Amino acid sequence: MKKRIIFHIDVNSAYLSWEAVYRLQHGAAIDLRDIPSIVGGDESKRHGIVLARSIPAKKFGILTGETIYSARQKCPNLTIVPPNYERYMKASNSMIKLLEGYSPYVQRYSIDEVFMDYSYNSEKNFLDTAYEIKERIREELGFTVNIGIGPNKLLAKMASDFKKPNRVHTLFHDEIENKMWPLPVDELFMVGPRTKAKLNKRGIFTIGELAKLDREYIYSWLKKPGLVVWEYANGIENSPVRNTPLPIKSIGNSTTTSYDVDNRRESHMFLLALSEMVGMRVRNLEQCGRVISVSLKNDKFYSYSHQRKLSIATNSTNVIYRTAKKLFDEMWQGEPIRRFSVSISEFYSNEFQQLSLLEDYNEKEEILDKTIDKIRNKYGYNSIIRSCFLHSGVRPIIGGVVAEEDYPMMSSLL
Amino acid sequence: MKVLMKPIEMIAWFTKDKNPIPLRYRIVDENNLYRVVKVDKVLFAEEEKLAGNRMILYRCESTINNIRKIYELKYEIDTCKWFLFKI
Repeated sequence: MKKRIIFHIDVNSAYLSWEAVYRLQHGAAIDLRDIPSIVGGDESKRHGIVLARSIPAKKFGILTGETIYSARQKCPNLTIVPPNYERYMKASNSMIKLLEGYSPYVQRYSIDEVFMDYSYNSEKNFLDTAYEIKERIREELGFTVNIGIGPNKLLAKMASDFKKPNRVHTLFHDEIENKMWPLPVDELFMVGPRTKAKLNKRGIFTIGELAKLDREYIYSWLKKPGLVVWEYANGIENSPVRNTPLPIKSIGNSTTTSYDVDNRRESHMFLLALSEMVGMRVRNLEQCGRVISVSLKNDKFYSYSHQRKLSIATNSTNVIYRTAKKLFDEMWQGEPIRRFSVSISEFYSNEFQQLSLLEDYNEKEEILDKTIDKIRNKYGYNSIIRSCFLHSGVRPIIGGVVAEEDYPMMSSLL
Repeated sequence: MKVLMKPIEMIAWFTKDKNPIPLRYRIVDENNLYRVVKVDKVLFAEEEKLAGNRMILYRCESTINNIRKIYELKYEIDTCKWFLFKI
């Protein structure tokens, strides 16, 4: 097979850059990227964490994911701006559109990361193209990116992470030893804090040390996941650049409530609002799911969950809600809850269905769901809502950051 | 020129093939009164798509208080809003 050339394009402090550029376009005098600033959630709604930080904010030791409260203690004159996911989608789409001019194989890996297969264009040097793309994005779209180039997606992704911002890096097989092996082991894709602790315990601190281990040894110790990271450490990875998304295996929505919910009635309302969203999404996929699960996080930040397999697959909001309610009632201990989530998995196509003697199947309900979806798609999500939400203070449909648009989520699959 | 980015009310001419052409707009001045400005000439127009947000920037010329002035207008395509960008 011909040698592959894969690009990984990574936007530098994505949310923050996009917000900064948007503000400059609207006449702002200050570039958020030049001052200590963060994009953060609303503290009063208990979404108060740092979503993105500027490079000056990084110098104060502010971390992505920490609370705004602690970020403000590290830097008292920090500028905090709220997130706007619709704007980010627009910026991300504009980047994808630009990249599609260079290759037919473009995979959006997350909102700010894109893989592109450039193996098929041998007329132009790939480095020239990378610099051209980087400059065009900066000139036309106003933000900076890092581009990593490698023989596969893993090495391209590792390369784009080297030195930021606004750079192009390569990482081919002969460069692994110098460029990747000296790095600490948790810099490797898929090595999180837990794996890091396990590896450190046995004296493995760099990616090189992991790579040099015996294959059989790592398999007998960490089994299949161990083998995967060992292969990654050796630069072995060969997934294609997918321009169609992977099949969806489960759908779930969750919400952190703005106050602790301590009664059954309100809890049921949150579950219903989430079930509405989950139901609409499953129906939109033209699938039915069989396993419903509910997970809760209480005021002590302890999480637990419960799931149930139905005897017939469903995509009905009411069935999802009734099951979620049952699951909730079975596990809830009566303590205040701060986070609810509802998800559905084990999908079947909804073209035909095996009915069950033991469970009701209501055709009218299916038609009703379909009609409601149609109305909501045409006139907006709040055009038709359940009356129990009226004057309740609970939003009738909860879940997702961009209402009415699919937001690309991060995945552990390359 | 100073950045103003003030929303304005606009009468524009939408053509078949080119960008919309600004003709006349009104703006609320410091005494809270409407001031109407006629756009005498569009020197150039260019589209920008910073952060994916499409806007058309116009460099224009008008006579304001008997003085010829050059300034910039912006049209945001997604929201259909006009702004006095710089003067």
